[in-house]
Amino acid sequence: MSTFSKIVSRPIDFLTRTKVQEDEYFTHVDGVGSVPRDIYKYVKSNPIGDLPRYSVHIVIQHLLVFITFIFLAASGLPIYFSDLFWASYFVSLFGGIDVARSIHRIAAFIMMFAAAYHIITIAAGTIRKIYHHEFDYKRTQLPRLKDLFDLINDIKYFLGRAPYRPKMEKFMYKQKAHYLAIIWGNFILIAAGSVLLFPDIMAQLFPETLGKILPPAGADTDSYSAFFQDLARLMHADEAVMALILLAFWHWINVHLVPGRFPIQWTFLNGKITREHQIEEHFLEYLNNLKEIPAEREYMKNLLKELGIDGSKALSRADQNASFSQPVDAAPGEKT
Amino acid sequence: MKRSVLKIIKRHIIPALLAAGIFMLLGPGSPARAADEYNCLMCHKHRYSGRIDENGKRWNYNVDEFLYNHSVHRSIECRDCHSDIKRIPHDPVTQNVNCGNQCHIKPPFAQEKFSHEKLIGIYNQSAHGIEPQDSEELKNAKPFCKYCHLNPMYTQISEKTVLFKESLQRCFNCHPQRGVIQAYRHMAHRLRKKTSRSSQKIVQLCSTCHGDVALMKKLNVSERALTAVESYNRSIHGKLVRLGSQKAANCISCHASNALHDIYKKDDPRATIYKDNIAKTCSQCHEKTNSAFINIAVHPSAEHEGNPIIYLVSIFFRVVLYGATFSMVGLMLFETFGRWTNGIKLILINGTSWRGQSKRRSKKRK
Repeated sequence: MSTFSKIVSRPIDFLTRTKVQEDEYFTHVDGVGSVPRDIYKYVKSNPIGDLPRYSVHIVIQHLLVFITFIFLAASGLPIYFSDLFWASYFVSLFGGIDVARSIHRIAAFIMMFAAAYHIITIAAGTIRKIYHHEFDYKRTQLPRLKDLFDLINDIKYFLGRAPYRPKMEKFMYKQKAHYLAIIWGNFILIAAGSVLLFPDIMAQLFPETLGKILPPAGADTDSYSAFFQDLARLMHADEAVMALILLAFWHWINVHLVPGRFPIQWTFLNGKITREHQIEEHFLEYLNNLKEIPAEREYMKNLLKELGIDGSKALSRADQNASFSQPVDAAPGEKT
Repeated sequence: MKRSVLKIIKRHIIPALLAAGIFMLLGPGSPARAADEYNCLMCHKHRYSGRIDENGKRWNYNVDEFLYNHSVHRSIECRDCHSDIKRIPHDPVTQNVNCGNQCHIKPPFAQEKFSHEKLIGIYNQSAHGIEPQDSEELKNAKPFCKYCHLNPMYTQISEKTVLFKESLQRCFNCHPQRGVIQAYRHMAHRLRKKTSRSSQKIVQLCSTCHGDVALMKKLNVSERALTAVESYNRSIHGKLVRLGSQKAANCISCHASNALHDIYKKDDPRATIYKDNIAKTCSQCHEKTNSAFINIAVHPSAEHEGNPIIYLVSIFFRVVLYGATFSMVGLMLFETFGRWTNGIKLILINGTSWRGQSKRRSKKRK
């Protein structure tokens, strides 16, 4: 089959398929047995975390970004919304707008340091893994076509049209989207922020000659320096507001308020993930964990023995009733 | 040994304490009093002194001694400015005060009596000065001395941050150059900045007229001048000033030199915002000013009326913002609903959060 026909046929395949094969429900792991997809409902997990997920570097970077982001938002938002009543109260928290601006700059530099630290960590880790022949692009944040199918299948699961959540890697579609958004946002904020912080120096980087090469930037602006300054003013504020809204309404709710994660996940401090979370949303990474951690292998083996799973029988009552091994929109005659 | 200690106490310390006590008693002294040689306040101190004239206009004749004592003119006699009053009790006053009068105070090292004449000369040449070809409306609308300078200037400023050269320029507005340095050291506390009013006050003052769009339209000002206040408030300078910044530029910072009243229109070569002078004006704060930098819009136009590309970008950002927020929050709600129906509970207790029954639609197999 050619690559083109694969690209065309696979989404159609994913969209139209309602049947789940038995071999998708059970995953055979050497030395453990057959692991059912919904084993996460039966495992015991420690709320503090069971399985390693992030290195200490990532935890430090998250803390740096987390703290600086709060300072950046608190000192930057009142400037953007300076005509609203709460702006001056926010500013007086810092001891005046001139102090708030200095704090904004210091926090920005710490955040940039965290970004550089992250790039170094990722690059060094990747090189180390390649050197040891351990590198697997599926365990990284690189977006794949599978993520799109995972999203579609997940929505089907949420609608009750698929029995199980898709088997996802260490980083699922949500996390990859968020990671890409952070890269994009950091790029915009740092670029636009430095144009705002050093308007005189940055103006020289966009000299008049640029105007002769590029198409005219508009009638009202006199030059490219003015155009880029206007663009930076717009983008810095809009991107920051977008980041804040997504963080407040999506990231924080996702890690704090969603069932099973309430009230807090300790991953941000110890870099560990709970077992049920790992199996539910990162099943393929859990299989890697089974390979890499002997204690985990032992635990799963004992659990399967305890539950009496031999690899031929479905586990939950819903599965025993075989709700999804038939098409949902079956003919009414079959129902009884 | 002991005796010598007692002697020292008797001879030196007790007299010193006594002297200190006397100075402490004398120290506070008498309260500041307004210069009032002719005792004008005898009548004008009364709170409700005033009259209603033939046209029904109310006149208030009260002078608050406290406020006057703390104004810049506290040591000026009433009659130095109200010069048409020749005898007391006086006839009805018909003349307005002329700030160009010479008053009876001689500035240090000066030969002549003090007057604001020099500054008024500068002012009359500026954009605000009344010109013969102006329309009657414009003549009435143009501000005069008292329009802006009604309030006393009280701002306290730390001496550490005095900008010597820039501030010195201000002294020459009124004082002769000779001996001005001594005078400067004597009263430099007010002279840190271009103006002793805060930036907020300056913006407020200028906005009373320039922010009045209806008035400005009537006076046929240019399109840019019409939106000057609005666009300034949109700029980073305006936002910071509104939030209380003492560093950000206000109207006067850019539109006047240290002579303060020399505000000219943009196309006047004397103007600080004339195209050849802009670099110098910006370099007051932005040290690395260059030819590209001065093109940046200080009064930025609104997104939708400026550059089309900027407008498109702003629309793009808005679409991304709403699209991303609603789709992601929607997905999260969706996910929560799906997992909830499959039996997840809110909190992870006793090692699991999947304690509920799955409420999923199921069909029994035969």
